[in-house]
Amino acid sequence: MTSTKPRTSTRTEVLESRPVNLDGFVEEWPEKGLVAMESDFDPAPSVRVEDGRIVELDGKARADFDFMDTFIANHAIDVASAEECTAIPSVDIARMLIDPGVSRGQVLAVTRGLTPAKILDVVKLMNVVEIMQAMQKMRARRTPANQGHSTSARDNPVQVAVDAAEGALRGFAELETTLGVVRYAPLVAIALQVGGQVGRGGVLTQCALEEATELELGMRGITAYAETISIYGTESVFVDGDDTPWSKAFLASAYASRGIKMRFTSGTGSEVQMGNAEGKSMLYLEIRCILMAKGAGVQGLQNGSISCIGVPGAVPGGIRAVAAENLVASMVDLECASGNDQSFSHSSMRRTARLMPQLLPGTDFVCSGYSAVPNADNMFAGSNFDTEDYDDWNTIQRDLQVDGGLRHVREAEVLQVRNKAARALQALFAHLDLPPITDDEVEAATYADSSNDYPLRDVLSDLKGAQSVMERGITGLDLVRGLETTGFHDVAESLLSVLRQRVSGDLLQTSAVLTADFTPLSAINDVNDYAGPGTGYRLAGERWEELKKLRHVTSATNPETEVG
Amino acid sequence: MSAQPPPELTAADYPLSIKHPELLRTPTGKPITALTMDAVVSGELSAEDLRIAPETLQLQAQLADASGRPQLAANFRRAAEMTAIPDTEVLAMYNALRPRAATAAQLGELADRLGGTYGAPVCAALVREAAEVYARRDLLARPTADVG
Amino acid sequence: MTTATTPERTLTLREIGPAGRGTRPDEVVIAVSPAFAGHFTKTIVDVPHAEVLRQVLAGIEEQGVTARVIQVFDTADLAAISHGGAKLSGSGIAVGILSRGTTMIHQKDLPRLSNLELFPQSPLLDPAVFRMIGSNAAQYAKGESPQPVPTRNDQMARPRWQAKAALLHLKEFECIQAGRPAVEVEPVFGRVGSRRLG
Repeated sequence: MTSTKPRTSTRTEVLESRPVNLDGFVEEWPEKGLVAMESDFDPAPSVRVEDGRIVELDGKARADFDFMDTFIANHAIDVASAEECTAIPSVDIARMLIDPGVSRGQVLAVTRGLTPAKILDVVKLMNVVEIMQAMQKMRARRTPANQGHSTSARDNPVQVAVDAAEGALRGFAELETTLGVVRYAPLVAIALQVGGQVGRGGVLTQCALEEATELELGMRGITAYAETISIYGTESVFVDGDDTPWSKAFLASAYASRGIKMRFTSGTGSEVQMGNAEGKSMLYLEIRCILMAKGAGVQGLQNGSISCIGVPGAVPGGIRAVAAENLVASMVDLECASGNDQSFSHSSMRRTARLMPQLLPGTDFVCSGYSAVPNADNMFAGSNFDTEDYDDWNTIQRDLQVDGGLRHVREAEVLQVRNKAARALQALFAHLDLPPITDDEVEAATYADSSNDYPLRDVLSDLKGAQSVMERGITGLDLVRGLETTGFHDVAESLLSVLRQRVSGDLLQTSAVLTADFTPLSAINDVNDYAGPGTGYRLAGERWEELKKLRHVTSATNPETEVG
Repeated sequence: MSAQPPPELTAADYPLSIKHPELLRTPTGKPITALTMDAVVSGELSAEDLRIAPETLQLQAQLADASGRPQLAANFRRAAEMTAIPDTEVLAMYNALRPRAATAAQLGELADRLGGTYGAPVCAALVREAAEVYARRDLLARPTADVG
Repeated sequence: MTTATTPERTLTLREIGPAGRGTRPDEVVIAVSPAFAGHFTKTIVDVPHAEVLRQVLAGIEEQGVTARVIQVFDTADLAAISHGGAKLSGSGIAVGILSRGTTMIHQKDLPRLSNLELFPQSPLLDPAVFRMIGSNAAQYAKGESPQPVPTRNDQMARPRWQAKAALLHLKEFECIQAGRPAVEVEPVFGRVGSRRLG
């Protein structure tokens, strides 16, 4: 080479080597929808009602509606108040959202009549602190919670069970799994259910699969809820996904008809990623998804970009837009499982900053998948946080006195539930004549970190066993019976209590979770009553004492020791 | 016993599993309190006993309405209608609603079947609405197109 | 920008006529996207298109199978490109390649949205993988059932590449020429001079 590189400073070399520079950033391209939430190509708000029907929506006449406009106009927007609500100046609505003197119910009385462009117009006025302030009040359930992922790079059911148990013990209210090899699903879903109930009775579990199998596992009572029901903000991308708002609305009712809790999934960036954003901003399209979910009558939504986080994460203001999409879900009264569930950045600072708009105000589920396994075992392609971050997470909760749904648990308790989960699964597999789990596996599982720490399983016989679970028609009841007859009475009781809930339908209501004493806690009996300082959910009392505990805290009484 | 309709519920009646277990029955007619461990172990219970009954979904719809959630209530009412439809047929109906999966006539038949055989007028209306929108947006199956 | 330390291969695709249906049962069609070796010259991770094509061709040839290269202009959808290529292939097997590197092996009798092998993570495709893809395609063409090329996974590919991939996808869409039929091309490889200034 004849050209020599220009000399760079040592400072530049230091900065170049920082992890954040491994992340990808791109310029905006609003004409193609590669823009977070501020685009000249988004429509201006408008609505017109004739004969009890919306005939104009955001500048479009009904004859020109695509199917998203039609579904939203027919089902999501309250026709009686639409014109009046949309006429309120956006700045007034934005102020209502952050004003502690205006109750959540008063805000809902306005948002029920807003069009997608109007909602965008409102949240565009809000900076990230105002978005958080609004989220604190608009979150549907008063008590925040968290969701964990328990998966295995080898689809090892033993690992999934023990990491589910540890995760449940640490505080996750919901646990989700998925597979590398899809045929493993029945065994892994059983493992998640059993492990979850060992860790903390009443934890709800799900297995992310294609729609039909996911529904079947739910119908059989092997899983308790479903979440991976994807919706999209443009008609063309929705159709590419082989669905429509009507097919998804029908599916929502199908789940409810079997007593199974369900939420949809959407997120900023999916449409532009698939090349069909129709020139609209990511947030505008996500607001259409949110209103579609609302119109379908599904109780909640997982959003916050989810698997497309690299797209809003790469454009200016993208993480503000992600915070805004969570807020919009909450401000139209949906349960919000708020993302933070995919590998987001090489930079730990950036990972943490991305979390703040959900952790600080609290959401229904701060992460819709904190990795309760090491990220290398995370079959959702990695989460924003994993098992290595447990102590950091607990410390941040303690520093800021916020409840992110987790807690520090002492080693002895962790080992106890891991061991018990492995033994319970061992006994259940034997009872159901599934491939055996050896004592060596139980021992390894008790002390393991990742899938590399487990003896290898015979994958072929596992897959045969998985197939037989489906062929023999094994249901949740068989799991209860197996656990009971093999001496795991408390685990069997917990699982039976979870199954009994589908007969009551209580978990179908907005933002429902099951507490440790099997009380359904939802937006109906745990209403978010935030009304300014000193009100709403406060981290206090017994829960705060619990969160004061960390792995290492020096005793004030005897500074030569640590409190545990 | 009593055939009278249950009272109109309010938010204070939630959760039904704790406040009103007496209102909850399985589709097989057992009270929810019959779902005990003894009954599981003795084999008295089948998977059918762990399903939700349409009456329960109507109660949950009342609660949703009482909490200001009309869309959620409508979803529960569609769900109540769908409890009568077998699993495989529910999935087949869902598949028929996918884009370009059914002709106008097929969707019409589906709506008729829902309204007639299953006494599911709310679901039928949803399918009819879909058929109308699909026609306008070119999302009906073309009768002549090969499926592949 | 940094300059390459070794002279890069260049590639031009010389049009030799409309893309027709092949008759040789032992051929694989390589179908490339509208912006391949034109608007774009390298994949998302800077593998030159010349190298991509050279490796796929080498992988096919080492199995004793012949290859034909076509360029598609009226779509940038990988499944459509690959399936379209397969329908023109004498063996019914085609490799479809997008400019950013995303690749698929397709077979003409499969549904369009299915495939034999898909390599969706363009940032993880290096020259060695492209060679294995060519080799596998050739083995399918011979009626064999090769072990699928091992897929890699990198959980940090998302933060680094997801947005750039979306941008490249949009740019490739802009290069679509609606209605222009696919053409058969002859790949012409060259080298840039070593006096390239950065």
